[in-house]
Amino acid sequence: MYKYDHIDQTLVDQRVAQFRDQVARRLDGTLAEEEFRPLRLQNGLYHQRHAYMLRVAIPYGLFNSKQLRTMALISEKYDRGYGHFTTRQNIQYNWVTLEDTPDILAELATVEMHAIQTSGNCIRNITSDAFAGVAGDEYVDPRPICELLRQWSTLHPEFAHLPRKFKFAINGAKEDRTILLCHDVGIELKKNAQGELLADIYAGGGMGRTPILGSLIKTGLPWQLLPSYLTALLRVYNRFGRRDNLYKARIKILVKALSPEEFARQVEGEWLHIKEGDDNFTQAEWDRVAKHFTKPAYKDLPALTTDQVIAGASQADQAAFARWLGRNVKPHQVPGYASVILSLKPHGSVAPGDATTAQMYAIADLSDQYSFGELRATHEQNLVLADVEQAKLYELWQEAKKQKVALPNVGLLTDIIACPGGDFCSLANAKSLPIAKAIQERFDDLDYLFDLGDISLNISGCINSCGHHHVGNIGVLGVDKDGEEWYQITLGGEQGNDAAIGKVIGPSFYADEIPDVITNIINTYVQDRKDDESFIQAYRRLGVTPFKEAAYKNAKKKEKAAQVSGEDAS
Amino acid sequence: MSQTNTPSSNTIAAHDQVLHFPKGSKPSLAPNVWLIWSGSQDEGGLPDLEHGPANITKVLVPFSWWVQHHNESDIAAKAKEGKIGVWFAADEDILKHEQLIEVGKTVWPVVAAHFPIFRDGRSFSTAALLRDRFQWQGEIRAIGDVLIDQLLQGARVGFDSFALRPDQNTDVALKQFDLFSVTTQNSWRGLRTTRASLSA
Ligand code: HEM
Ligand code: SF4
Repeated sequence: MYKYDHIDQTLVDQRVAQFRDQVARRLDGTLAEEEFRPLRLQNGLYHQRHAYMLRVAIPYGLFNSKQLRTMALISEKYDRGYGHFTTRQNIQYNWVTLEDTPDILAELATVEMHAIQTSGNCIRNITSDAFAGVAGDEYVDPRPICELLRQWSTLHPEFAHLPRKFKFAINGAKEDRTILLCHDVGIELKKNAQGELLADIYAGGGMGRTPILGSLIKTGLPWQLLPSYLTALLRVYNRFGRRDNLYKARIKILVKALSPEEFARQVEGEWLHIKEGDDNFTQAEWDRVAKHFTKPAYKDLPALTTDQVIAGASQADQAAFARWLGRNVKPHQVPGYASVILSLKPHGSVAPGDATTAQMYAIADLSDQYSFGELRATHEQNLVLADVEQAKLYELWQEAKKQKVALPNVGLLTDIIACPGGDFCSLANAKSLPIAKAIQERFDDLDYLFDLGDISLNISGCINSCGHHHVGNIGVLGVDKDGEEWYQITLGGEQGNDAAIGKVIGPSFYADEIPDVITNIINTYVQDRKDDESFIQAYRRLGVTPFKEAAYKNAKKKEKAAQVSGEDAS
Repeated sequence: MSQTNTPSSNTIAAHDQVLHFPKGSKPSLAPNVWLIWSGSQDEGGLPDLEHGPANITKVLVPFSWWVQHHNESDIAAKAKEGKIGVWFAADEDILKHEQLIEVGKTVWPVVAAHFPIFRDGRSFSTAALLRDRFQWQGEIRAIGDVLIDQLLQGARVGFDSFALRPDQNTDVALKQFDLFSVTTQNSWRGLRTTRASLSA
């Protein structure tokens, strides 16, 4: 894992001092709230419904046990005993005070962490594959590029006040686990026949009010040229992105307005002038960074079959353990190892992605014991121990069960992505968390969930789409109508290589109808599926109609529910 | 502190002292001699500098106004005396005026870029283009809604003087430039530390 050198450390230390001074000026009144706002946002500090919320960066989702202990400490000392892992691989604290924030940041800086650019209209924390460096289907380990670009984007002066926030995702594997196409810029890494590392650039994707999948605007860019090319791209966006209308300020609107071809042409035009310069990365920079992403000290182990692994468990545990292996354990590049997903989605949980202080301490210990002290956060809001010996999976499973992070629901209907919604977020139109909980309680039968197989269900409390509802096979969106909370259903969304934006099926529902609506949709799938078709495959074959009819079958209050249109438009 | 550069409908308000931070030197304050004319009330020509405050002797005109008027003889004469500079609006596409800017480079003592509101970062790119693309070596001044916490970014993209908004505290402003001793990307002021340290 990357280790700060004195430059990185100096930068975060000095950043803490800068923010401490800004907070002091805010507190003594010389800095007005309106002018402080973008400054605190560039440090991940939001003002929410009840309190300040601090979003701490976990660059490309990778962290270690020492850092997790500090995250735990912060949740204990400055918050209310938990932290929330987000869809952008960060962690949020919901109950911090403005006064404490500089101290929290100072505490984070001692373990090479910060909150720089986790919010605000600047280049946000870069996300990547949670299985980077270990995934069986990886072409290129994206982490050195992630780290080089983290440095390049950190406190970038020219792009400190963009029209809107700007999100990068980077992928180097066959299967896209980053929702590359839903980012302002998606970088797909490849190697050519000569073994040279190249990047394809997608621009203009995003969810929110106008969900759009990114367009390919550049292929085969040598990795060294990324900074100059991205400077050109951001410069075009900074100069010509709309600033008159918040909802039209994202790069996706610019790319759409110009057409991807014209946008690409303008970027190319700008790039011509700077592509030869010092902005570009050097081999020396690569070497300095890449040496941190070498493989850990793997043992020479025999590869075990699943049956062999299961045979290691006690008779009584075998069925449950096998289930967990099937859902929460992923293949690894190195024989004898596997990657484990710890589910932060226990049924009936307070919020998907929450971890308590005690859980964080315990998971830190597990990572030391079983996975070289490293962890990853996934955009589905779970945690990963990437390098576990197959022979120790049973032991780990037993430990994980004690911490209530061993539910084998990864990729299943109850592995819900949900934003904090109306319980915490001041932008929400409706609550998300009680909906997630009600669905988990309705579908609490693991046998049934297993039979249903892969289905993603994502919930957002408003059109901003923090809960990624657009790319859920089933999406639930909170909408407001005459001061009441309603929920709109989308179907057919998908993340991954076949990424798709879901379609609204019709008028919205009341909160208490949602479990039935989901049940009806699921029942339709169960009735009509062929062989081992997944939900999304069945949906694509059958089309929306049967699902829609089922959803409204006994919508008792349907007549009251007007179509909430226009929410998704513009 | 008195304000010489009194805000009025046809000027852009600024602190009466300008913060200068030339490349390679220390930041310092100096009295402002430039009136920032908004051009909004074009009363038949340039504002009357003779009868205004004694220390205001030169004028920054909107670039769009320069485009219209630079050929007029009295304007050309004044410019020759070094009394006219231009400022670029945030939405000015300077790349569309390459020739005019090339010629302007020989007459303007100062150019400026405007921040209509502090969180509008377009002028950062304008300054970067003036330095990179036009190789402008003279002064670039940040004007408009220029606040203390933008100084660092401005200094790095190519600004070397700052006409702060009148309410800003210059003592705090002067301390901004040494907050960071390291950088992780290039700027007008130098190579990123992360790269410089490797070639050393
Ligand atoms: C609680 C305070 C939060 C606030 C105030 C907030 C604010 C916002 C806003 C305003 C947007 C809309 C951006 C647009 O116009 O497209 C957005 C989108 C988003 N937020 Fe949040 N958010 C919050 C929490 C979260 C959480 C908890 C997560 C992760 C679980 C998250 C992750 C995201 C993601 C992934 C998007 C997607 C937008 C895109 O890809 O275009 N946010 N958020
Ligand atoms: S989707 Fe809306 S309600 Fe949910 S966290 Fe984002 S802004 Fe808040």
